[in-house]
Amino acid sequence: MKVVEINDVCKTYHDTEVEVKAVDGVTLSFEKGDFAVIVGPSGSGKTTLLNLIGGLDHPTAGEIIVAGHRLSELKPSQLIDFRMEHVGFVFQSYNLIPVLTAAENVEFIMNLQRWPKEKRKARTDEMLQSVGLSDRHKSRPSQLSGGQQQRVAVARALAPRPEFILADEPTANLDTKSAETLLDIMEKLNREEQMTFIFSTHDVRVMKRARRVITLEDGKVVSDIRTNHNS
Amino acid sequence: MITSIAWKNVWRNKTRSLTVIAAVTVGVFAGVFSMAAINSSIVQRIDAAVNEELSHIQVNNKEFRSSGDLLDYISGPGAVISRLEQTEGVTDVTGRVIVRGMASTSAGSSAVEITGINIEKELGMFTLSRRLIPGTGSYFGADTRLNSVFIGEKLARELNIIRYILTPESFQKLTAESVPASVTEKLKEIEGVRFTTEKKLTKALTGILQAKEMKSYGLTIKEAAWSYREGSKIILNFLDVSGNQTGAAFRISGIYRTNNDLYEALSVFVPEAELRELTGLNEGQYHRIIAKLADNDLTGSVTPVIRESLPGLEVLSWKEIQTDLAMITDYINQIYGVFMAIILAGLAFGIVNTMLMSVLERTRELGMLSAIGMNRRRIFVMIMLESIFLSIVGGLAGMTVSAVVIGITGKTGINLVKYAEGMEAFGYSANLYPTIGADFFIILTVMIVITGILSAIYPARKALQLNPVEALRGE
Ligand SMILES: Nc1ncnc2c1ncn2[C@@H]1O[C@H](COP(=O)(O)OP(=O)(O)OP(=O)(O)O)[C@@H](O)[C@H]1O
Ligand SMILES: [Mg+2]
Repeated sequence: MKVVEINDVCKTYHDTEVEVKAVDGVTLSFEKGDFAVIVGPSGSGKTTLLNLIGGLDHPTAGEIIVAGHRLSELKPSQLIDFRMEHVGFVFQSYNLIPVLTAAENVEFIMNLQRWPKEKRKARTDEMLQSVGLSDRHKSRPSQLSGGQQQRVAVARALAPRPEFILADEPTANLDTKSAETLLDIMEKLNREEQMTFIFSTHDVRVMKRARRVITLEDGKVVSDIRTNHNS
Repeated sequence: MITSIAWKNVWRNKTRSLTVIAAVTVGVFAGVFSMAAINSSIVQRIDAAVNEELSHIQVNNKEFRSSGDLLDYISGPGAVISRLEQTEGVTDVTGRVIVRGMASTSAGSSAVEITGINIEKELGMFTLSRRLIPGTGSYFGADTRLNSVFIGEKLARELNIIRYILTPESFQKLTAESVPASVTEKLKEIEGVRFTTEKKLTKALTGILQAKEMKSYGLTIKEAAWSYREGSKIILNFLDVSGNQTGAAFRISGIYRTNNDLYEALSVFVPEAELRELTGLNEGQYHRIIAKLADNDLTGSVTPVIRESLPGLEVLSWKEIQTDLAMITDYINQIYGVFMAIILAGLAFGIVNTMLMSVLERTRELGMLSAIGMNRRRIFVMIMLESIFLSIVGGLAGMTVSAVVIGITGKTGINLVKYAEGMEAFGYSANLYPTIGADFFIILTVMIVITGILSAIYPARKALQLNPVEALRGE
């Protein structure tokens, strides 16, 4: 089943005198359960592409269909609701709400979606357990390490069971051990919850773990390789 | 959830939030307290006007106030009194016989308004008896050998009943008040000298004391020299019902001191029966019937009711008699408005500024919130709530401080002796007992919340203008 379909999408920035084609005629699709990584040199358009898929930005041309929604047809306010309902985000940093505890952060989106309290609590416990932080419910983000913060962010993104998770360089600020732990957790959740992951990276450790590697250069897809290794 | 996040956000930057809260507290306190102080003198003045001078409502013969004629009394007073007593809100009613005349002693004379009163009744209705200057006798004490009269200090001065002499007792008093010997030594020079007015004493004192000594001890010395011979008499002259001059010597039963010089100079009180005998007015004939109400706030509603039920008579509330006081009350209300506006404007600037800082500082976080699906309405509400919490905490702190300080100073009073003479000439006390109505507090709270909401709008809109992509990208 196709979760994301990208048809001949372009994104051009005009704000300097030169025109920058950040994404240039990309056609791709992602299946449910994909564990895909987008790689490429700096400035090749990885972040831009992820933002387009997540409905954070509009393409200049082409069409993106996510879970049956044509993103170009959604109004800005509908786009926010779309993101809340269908997309889980993990950013490189500044993921968490600093005044809330780890558990409250994980609950946050379920709260926005008005889940009943018991279900919310149960799911939060389950998610913190899966990311190995069941003893850190009450910790504030500032009391957690960078790796732990990213794990809370993954737990939060996954908790409301979105269509897929977008992660822009989730390991960029992590040491090797933390990065490995985070990847283990994402792989496990990919397996156990059939969750689709799409992320960008510079990190070879991440590339090795992916089952599909898409390479961008100057906004174009130059290769799309499925490796069938299972970890 | 958003409410709790907003509340926690307020306390993220404690120093900054506390600074704004402190500023709001000081602003609200300064405003409320100065209003309470101004209000104090008005409330005291109204209290004096109602409880010492006018009562709430008075009923006169239509001609009496302009003619002052003895024969312009109220016809059918019994019916008027019972009508008043039956009116809802009225607690006490009494009649007064009022005669205009002259008061004189060998040293001078002065025009006065002589009021014949039912002493027992008035004792319960008015507080003038409490204004008796200690040592000057009583409010119509037991000794009724002679006609007795209760007069004001100002009149007593004008008739030279009060004078200033430094007697051996005065020196004892000064020593007791710890006036230094260096000063009392100098005062020996004027021991036993009789000064007929305060001015003359002041002149003599400035002659022998240094300016500094005068400033520190002048008032104490004057108090000590103040003297009055108990049982002094004054002559009251007026016309009787047939238009003939009549009059008698009245023993001063006591001297009262209010904050209203004009009233003190003009109003003298005698027992009703004595005045009837001298003027030939019959029992039950009154020029004025006065009524006290259960509450001053009823004045506006009860007056018209009484007016309607007593056609042919002049019915006046204290507000209509003391129009200046009513006007000042209005004026003060306007000053309240200006004060309030200034406090609230300060509050608004503080909050807009703080919240803008806080929004701009959180660009990335707000971008992240929008990215993960917190919609515009929720972000707007969150920022609004943060501003409102700031203003409410500050406002409440300010009002608490105000309430406490007003509560304390309202009991102990603030003395403005420096300005005493100027204020008392107009009937205002020099002692302030700050007081303010609960309604004012409620209005101010509501206004603070409204200001908090209004000043939140701009920062909250600013937060909505942030683009999540740029917010997240900007490193
Ligand atoms: N808001 C913008 N205005 C103008 N140009 C932009 C903007 N955002 C991105 N670009 C340009 O678009 C191109 C692609 O940027 P993008 O951030 O998607 O690259 P990336 O592959 O994520 O790079 P990196 O690996 O460094 O994160 C770059 O040339 C960048 O300068
Ligand atoms: Mg990038």
